[in-house]
Amino acid sequence: MKKFLFLATSLIGLVIYAQAPWASTDLMPFKGEKGRIRIAGGTAHIPVMKEAAKRIITFNPDIQITIAGGGSGLGIKQVGEGLIDIGNSGRRPTDSEIARYNLRLFPWAVDGVAVAVNPQNKINSLTSKQVQGIFAGEITNWKEVGGTDRQINVYTRDEASGTRKVFWKKALNKGLILPGANVVVSNGAMKTAIANDPYAIGYVSVGYIDKSIKPIALDGTPPTLRNVRTGRYKIARRLYSLTKGEPKGLARLFIDFLYSPTGQKIIADKGFIPIKK
Amino acid sequence: MAEIFGKTPVPGSGEMGKRTLLEHLFTIAALVSAVLTGAVFVFLAVFAIPLIKNGLFFQLLFSNWLPQQHLYGIYPMLAASTMLASLSLALSFPVSLFTSFFITAVAPRQLRMVLLYIVRFMTGIPTVVYSFAALFLLVPLMRAILGRGSGMSILTAVPVLSLLIAPTMIIFFVNSFQRIPSSTILAADSLGATPVQKVLYVIVPQAWPGILNGLLLGLGRAIGDTMVSLMLAGNSPTVPQSLADSARTLTAHIGLVLAFDFDSMEFKSVFVSGLVLYVSTAIIMSIFRITSTISTGRRK
Amino acid sequence: MINKTLERSVIVLSWAAASILVMSVAILLGFLFAKGLGTLSLKLLFGSTPPLAAITLRQQVFDGLFPAVAGTFLLVICSTITAIPIGIAGGIFMAEYAGIRQKAFFSLLFDILAGIPSIIIGLAGLSLTIFLHRLFPGRLGPSLMISALSLALLVLPYLIRSTQNALESVDPLIRLTAPALGASRIQNVVKVLLPNSMADIIGGIILAVGRCAEDTAVIMLTGAVAVAGVPHDPLSQYEALPFYIYYISSQYGSPDELASGYGAAILLLALCTCLLIFAFVIQKRLVTLLLYR
Repeated sequence: MKKFLFLATSLIGLVIYAQAPWASTDLMPFKGEKGRIRIAGGTAHIPVMKEAAKRIITFNPDIQITIAGGGSGLGIKQVGEGLIDIGNSGRRPTDSEIARYNLRLFPWAVDGVAVAVNPQNKINSLTSKQVQGIFAGEITNWKEVGGTDRQINVYTRDEASGTRKVFWKKALNKGLILPGANVVVSNGAMKTAIANDPYAIGYVSVGYIDKSIKPIALDGTPPTLRNVRTGRYKIARRLYSLTKGEPKGLARLFIDFLYSPTGQKIIADKGFIPIKK
Repeated sequence: MAEIFGKTPVPGSGEMGKRTLLEHLFTIAALVSAVLTGAVFVFLAVFAIPLIKNGLFFQLLFSNWLPQQHLYGIYPMLAASTMLASLSLALSFPVSLFTSFFITAVAPRQLRMVLLYIVRFMTGIPTVVYSFAALFLLVPLMRAILGRGSGMSILTAVPVLSLLIAPTMIIFFVNSFQRIPSSTILAADSLGATPVQKVLYVIVPQAWPGILNGLLLGLGRAIGDTMVSLMLAGNSPTVPQSLADSARTLTAHIGLVLAFDFDSMEFKSVFVSGLVLYVSTAIIMSIFRITSTISTGRRK
Repeated sequence: MINKTLERSVIVLSWAAASILVMSVAILLGFLFAKGLGTLSLKLLFGSTPPLAAITLRQQVFDGLFPAVAGTFLLVICSTITAIPIGIAGGIFMAEYAGIRQKAFFSLLFDILAGIPSIIIGLAGLSLTIFLHRLFPGRLGPSLMISALSLALLVLPYLIRSTQNALESVDPLIRLTAPALGASRIQNVVKVLLPNSMADIIGGIILAVGRCAEDTAVIMLTGAVAVAGVPHDPLSQYEALPFYIYYISSQYGSPDELASGYGAAILLLALCTCLLIFAFVIQKRLVTLLLYR
């Protein structure tokens, strides 16, 4: 018993010993810094941004970090125009955007885009054809794909969304998204909308999937992190942070922090696959 | 009254320089406010002129919003705004009018005051609070009642918007009823008219400019409100085929399409939406001013 | 006979209309309170952060409403401080100095300004931001300052109107006394008319404060964001209560977040109602002013 206790305490001690300097070395660069980091754009990024900001500000309250959504398109534009320090994007900026704004790209995670429905929905799996049909408005009733006799409520994102761009390109094959679909403004709002509407269908970042919504297997492949990592699930993308020109000052430190062991752990905890620098 | 006294020659002398400075500041303040109002219009106009010249303005006004096909029109939003505002007014106007009858004549005396306080309290309820409560109460209800759709639709937004504009109209109506000269009311009283008869045959025929003005203010608020439609109407950028369809108003469109550079088509689209809203509310307020001048003229 | 039926139906319809109105409001607010009353506590404001550390800004609150409340507070202060001098001076001009034609012209302009949808004011603020940003690259963006300026423009017509109404409704006897004793027009304004209508003017200011606190459309275009903490300076972005309510309504991540959304809605409602009651207590002629919203 005593032996066990000793072992346990020393183990805990070791963990604390191992973790404490680990965490603080990653945060060390922020020591003595002062100022502001303005972040906006991609909404898939927000949970990671929030957690990173929380760690940094708790370590050094003199730093202010502001986080806004708005979608990838907005993130690219705002950082390009110099209105913010770091712009987030859930799609790769186009070559013309990169050239026009002199953007630097920092991909820090791999993410998937999953088709999702309400947990009350009996459907577990759809083919690509069916998904394309639903989003084009050709299939309008759940019974046509084996569900209950009820109209399908399609949810989509606004045009600034990177998630929408990726989904449209890779899942819908650049097909039509019916214009009458309900429009929501972020991944968080998509999740909430689907969780509240038993007849909803929408698409959401894999990192946002939890018990409140049900991911749909596409052509038999469920959108799990593993399938995204191995490449079996095709609707995948990288999450980028962007700066105008080489990042300077606090923006540089923030991006470095995302690539540090602590940052990588935050990314993994929030349901994404971290990418090393 | 005020003009007359304002115009009386200033008696007494003393501190000419100091006095004029402060008085100039008053004038400057009014001018600054006027200039700011103008500035909003000028900013809209500066962008509008090139758009009108190259025909883009009307093209945007009457085409659809399909950015993937390079269409940035606001026609669906125009339709949705018109539909939502007129329906809300159609629902809210009778309720407001009869409530103001209730407050003026029908209700027992103590109840009148209570209701007036409730109406005043309603003016203080933030729009976002109304929309928040309705989002979690009305939307699931509408989904169940309609049996199709997400529950976010024009039909969901209409009652909330009606509730939002009702106090504005009620207060205006009640005020205009109370401004009827007491001699007229006394004449009706001496003829033995009941309160309801007074309202119907004496007050309403005289107070119509007030009723019209209340209606105009209500319409202005209904067109200009953002949060109700943004949170409850579903925001899909198509011309709604039925009232149970999801729709996006001009105001919600401005809130949704965050455009951050002047040159993009998105900004132009948002901007044309803004111009349409500005011009329509300006017209409404001008009519409002004309009718209220007429009605004050009549009273004198 | 027809008239009797008409009169009866008016009575019935009036009762019906008034009950529908009161019941709708009661149901909506009752629902809000039923869901949200339980969330009201210090924890709603400060979450897991010690309140003292939060207020002294030594620790940022991540799971409470404190940053949003502080943001709204700062916003209201900045915008009313900007708007009050211009609004009151403009009102004095309208009541005491403007000729009939000037008055008609300015009245029309201010009515239009009062009637502009707030999202247009937000759009103007946004455009001003982009413009200033082009002028001074890198230094200005959407921020507390821009929002405050935009909100000041939004409430300017109320302040002008309330001051004007207050001055014009001063008793003619009081108005004439000082000039008759040889006071100049400005002396009359400053020493007699303003003190006599102070209550009404303050009432107008309080209503303007309420308007600044509740507006969502302006701030969501000009600088309110989801996460910001308490703003460090006027050029920071910030959190605000109405924006928080909007944000949470569409994208709450957990029942806890939704609950704090209900809490925030009750808080904002309580704030606006208190301001309204306060305004009515100090003056009673406000009713017409409520129309300018």
